[in-house]
Amino acid sequence: MGTEKRWLPIASLAIVAILSRSASAVDRSGNHDPIEPVNRAIFWFNDQVDIYVLEPVAKGYDKITSDRVKRCVSNFFQNLRFPISAVNDLLQGKLVATGSDFGRFAVNTTVGLAGLFDPATDWGMEFHDEDLGQTFGYWGLPAGPYLVLPLWGPSNIRDAVGLAGDSAAAVYPWFVPVYYSIGAQGVKTINGRALLLREVKQLKEASVDYYSAVRNAYNQRRETLIQDRARMSQQEQEDLYTVDTNGGE
Amino acid sequence: MSRALDDRQGSSRRRFRPAIALIAATTLIAGVLRAVETPSVTVQRLIDSVTAVLDDKSLSADQKRHKIEDFAYTHFNFETVSKLVLARNWKDLTSQQQKDFIEEFKRHLSVTYGKNIENYNNERAVVTGDREETRGDWTVKSKIVRPNAADVLVDYRLRKDPDGEWRIIDVIIEGVSLVANFRSQFQEIISNGGPAKLIEVLHEKNLKGEPFKTERS
Repeated sequence: MGTEKRWLPIASLAIVAILSRSASAVDRSGNHDPIEPVNRAIFWFNDQVDIYVLEPVAKGYDKITSDRVKRCVSNFFQNLRFPISAVNDLLQGKLVATGSDFGRFAVNTTVGLAGLFDPATDWGMEFHDEDLGQTFGYWGLPAGPYLVLPLWGPSNIRDAVGLAGDSAAAVYPWFVPVYYSIGAQGVKTINGRALLLREVKQLKEASVDYYSAVRNAYNQRRETLIQDRARMSQQEQEDLYTVDTNGGE
Repeated sequence: MSRALDDRQGSSRRRFRPAIALIAATTLIAGVLRAVETPSVTVQRLIDSVTAVLDDKSLSADQKRHKIEDFAYTHFNFETVSKLVLARNWKDLTSQQQKDFIEEFKRHLSVTYGKNIENYNNERAVVTGDREETRGDWTVKSKIVRPNAADVLVDYRLRKDPDGEWRIIDVIIEGVSLVANFRSQFQEIISNGGPAKLIEVLHEKNLKGEPFKTERS
């Protein structure tokens, strides 16, 4: 079991390299989505699950919990992501960030009462949203075709493989019994959804084509995270902010 | 006596001249200051005005929406936004279609984002920095601070108009540019049904999504 886990990231890296070789780089408004009909079907399915199960449950949960409680629950699960953040900061050679991740985990687990509170952020040790998909991207692997994963949502080849790799570093599947882990995943999902009630509603209303709005937002967001919020490249800016005049150029 | 009077007149004339110079200088400085008003100041002013309206308990949701819409129309350049969103497709539209598109798109944004007024929950927005970009544009960085949730990072991209005012041409929320997002949505509709289809889709959505009667104000 142990050796398998250790090999997983390397194996995933190889798979990603092979699968994404043909993929072109995705620009901010472009979308590489060769299996769009399949993706749209899964997206529709996920949306039905959301409309008929997740959102109603999250709304009920939202009514009986205060914002503060939701915040604590989300802090708790974020704290458990510590191994994923730390490992991926390390894999990207961000040593200072890795150190900060360790400090953050130590502080929030103790002073922050098992992670329910987040004093570390106030002490300058902020949460680093890192994962294996980002690590692949950081080392130059392209995203590959866009994928919608059943019950999970937007992804792409690179991030899906990364997700599988990250689960090896996640705390709960390995250190707690399966049924607790499923229960925890349920609470995490409902709590997370409850925190996004307004945002999802807003995105649905504001989009003309919800599927393509989500796909584009996902691609842009991942790019931003991979580059750690660095400014857009010259090329991206030229592409996005040049007015194409009536005469054409 | 008369000499004394002359003296007084003379001195008042002498005092008068610096006064004129002072007024002229002040006007000039004010003009210069206005011309060099930074994009950050523009964004800060917009944030302050919007927050003041949201906090004003004497206003109805409808009145708030109209006031904020006015701010948006002053501080956004919707024509540039429309051109950027349609990119290469812009020149395929007839000039009437271009006008219609700008109107419908503006309407769409104000209808959908106007609904957010009801969700206002004492969030605060602060400008956190700015930087110069390509083409003389500026990015102004800000964050929305929420009482029990993580901050939301919002960047505004501004371009200087011929009238000397900085106007917003894109809003980038947590790394997601609205121009890029709408461009990708609209591209698909245009590829499948042309610009006329896009305007029709927007028009229908605006009719359905209208939360208030516009004529009432």
